[in-house]
Amino acid sequence: MTILDTTVSTAQTSMSAPARMTRFLGRGAAFWRLLARGAVMLMFTLGIYRFWLTTDIRRYLWSNTEIADESFEYTGTARELLLGFLIAIAVLVPLYSAFFLLTLALGQMWSALSIVALTFLGQYAVFRARRYRLTRTIYRGVRFYQTGSAWRYSVYAVLWWSLILLTLGIAYPFAQSQLERFKMRNTFFGSMPGRFEGSGWHLFLRGIILWVLAVVPFAIGAVATILAIDWNALTSAAAGDDKASWLENSGLAGAVVFAALTGLWLLLSFAIFYPAFQTMVLRWWVSGLRFGEVAVSSRLRMTQVFAVYARFLGYALLFTFVVSVALMLGALVLPNISGALDATSEEIVTTVLVLGAYVATALGYSTIYQATVKLGLWRCIVETLDISNSAALEHVTAAGEPASPVGEGLADALNVGGI
Amino acid sequence: MNAPEVGISTSAGRGIFFDGLSASRHEVAVELAPAALRLRAADGTILAEWRYDELETLSSPDDVLRLGRAGNPVLARLEVKDPQLAAAIDERSAPVDRTGRIERRLRDKVIFWSVAATLSLLLVAILGVPLLASALTPLVPYALERKLGAAVATQARASLDDHRTGTVFECGNAQNEQAGRAAFDKLLEQIEAAASLPWPLKVMIVRRPEANAITFPGGHIYVFEGLIKNADTPDELAGVLAHEVGHVAHHDGTRTVIEGAGLSLLFGALLGDFVGGGAVILAAKTILQTSYSREVEAAADKYGITLMARIGGDPRALGTILIRIAGTTHPGPKILADHPDTRDRVAAIEAMAEPVPRRALLDQTQWASLKTVCARA
Repeated sequence: MTILDTTVSTAQTSMSAPARMTRFLGRGAAFWRLLARGAVMLMFTLGIYRFWLTTDIRRYLWSNTEIADESFEYTGTARELLLGFLIAIAVLVPLYSAFFLLTLALGQMWSALSIVALTFLGQYAVFRARRYRLTRTIYRGVRFYQTGSAWRYSVYAVLWWSLILLTLGIAYPFAQSQLERFKMRNTFFGSMPGRFEGSGWHLFLRGIILWVLAVVPFAIGAVATILAIDWNALTSAAAGDDKASWLENSGLAGAVVFAALTGLWLLLSFAIFYPAFQTMVLRWWVSGLRFGEVAVSSRLRMTQVFAVYARFLGYALLFTFVVSVALMLGALVLPNISGALDATSEEIVTTVLVLGAYVATALGYSTIYQATVKLGLWRCIVETLDISNSAALEHVTAAGEPASPVGEGLADALNVGGI
Repeated sequence: MNAPEVGISTSAGRGIFFDGLSASRHEVAVELAPAALRLRAADGTILAEWRYDELETLSSPDDVLRLGRAGNPVLARLEVKDPQLAAAIDERSAPVDRTGRIERRLRDKVIFWSVAATLSLLLVAILGVPLLASALTPLVPYALERKLGAAVATQARASLDDHRTGTVFECGNAQNEQAGRAAFDKLLEQIEAAASLPWPLKVMIVRRPEANAITFPGGHIYVFEGLIKNADTPDELAGVLAHEVGHVAHHDGTRTVIEGAGLSLLFGALLGDFVGGGAVILAAKTILQTSYSREVEAAADKYGITLMARIGGDPRALGTILIRIAGTTHPGPKILADHPDTRDRVAAIEAMAEPVPRRALLDQTQWASLKTVCARA
């Protein structure tokens, strides 16, 4: 009976010591393996394998995330995702064809209208995909679920995102807080209702400095570019053939310099500010989540997020080097092989090889991104979580039903997927 | 310590149980009864009894075996951390898949059928799409074809018209070009009359240096300035025009649009944009459409030769200008110039062309002014 005794005593010590409430248990190597195999399969199945890969990734992330000694469970299956995708195709193909024919028969206005309609449909899909994922998330034998109208969310989201664009991002904190409120007040863990308490003003006050640093120089640069061009000279000179005087008078040279500087700033500020911005938003978001009396807060630090991106950059550079070497070798070997073929098949073989190389490279970068950034951020977020009042979880009762995967399918077909 | 006696050490153990009705956590004693797994609470009451053949392995961290009952709408869960107990359960239950062996076998099946599906999709793309497009093309009403042609031509114009030189894209409208256009129209009228198409042609001469001509759906044709420059006789130009009229008569432009849409659907929508860029789809489309084009070009050649014979032009002239064009200007990858190997093509033209009574399609002055139809204002 000694074995039983020791298990009981370890269980007791882990109950009494509140050391770390949340852990990420997964080893990076297992995730790399999963992704690498997935990338190869994606290539040979022209993407059909993605339903299985997505399911594998979610299973790994969910089941290795442990809160209060219990890990999550993802019960979704690849078969469901495939079904959702097929339904989405059945809906979208007639829709696309209808818009194509309407544009042809009635003019360009319909093409713009189709973009608007697909934008709404995209947000609808985002909300329904979230419902699918939540209802496939089990914790302590109890299901998460989501209520609320996906069309209402879609209208909400499109209006807020339009406002974000119109205000050059100023509205972002308020939009996020309102949209997250909508999502969370429709989210339940069994009988326990969720809500969101992050304040838009809070995020706004923190983020405004970043916004000023990133957007104001960009705006000044853009205005300077436009002002540098003498539009009258430009149009009058364009009619003539004297190109030298045209360049000189129109101030186009100066404008090019301003535009280049603006672009450089945009690139630089993106590299510097994006991880900072992401840290801020993630921390704010996590710290605003509530389920009943259970509150969450985050200790995520900016250096952690920078480290995640630095790792990505390191692996990406290494991979770039490997790809360049492989391409050079290929360029040396290829002419020897293709000599035996006639002209047309040679063209086809070369094109297929180039295409294969392109796909392999793109999949390589995507794999590196998922293994470093996606997993890295997930791990950082989980490991910096603080949970209070987790005892309240004991009293939750089960509720909710599994939802259909149509939202996932639409999101996949419209390229608006989440995780 | 009786560890080596497996029977004793693994017939019972401890686990954590969630009853699926609430989230509260129960520490349970797990008994491996002969036909079922029995879970007892601390006070000895039986919480659950699950038959071995209805157990289901669920996703969990590596060192935990998480079990449920297959098909049970109540999400009751048992978690076992003791590896020996987990092994003992695995031994007794067929569906329990602790090592992932069953899952791997299923996955191999998935991989096999995905690859099979990919191959059959490629087969559909290579053989099925052209057949389907050929079947659909006659069903497109003329008005729609015309509109489609105008749309495609506008799109092509956007990429062909470079705007730089300050000249207009279309030749033949300026004062010193009108005589050339009149001569061109005379040539065109002879061809059009012989072809007796059910609808009018709309031919535009465009200011581009390449020796080329493009046919769009619904009878829209672009003849490039470079082609007129490269033609030595009216018959050579007429030969190319007759070939393009063949494309019009066969609705090749419309069929190409339908094929393109079909391929986009196959590769784009059905397979998904799995690398986040349309480049692959575009390249696949180009390769496939090139492979379709061989027979289409041969059919247009045949039509053109018959037409030339009917108007009394030289049926071999098409071959002559093709050789000249292939010899001089052929920049860029050959795969994009969607014509079969010129040598085979010319040989086929020579074989098809029969000697016919000839007459001059244009007189000397008309031909001279046609050569300067793109004189620029």
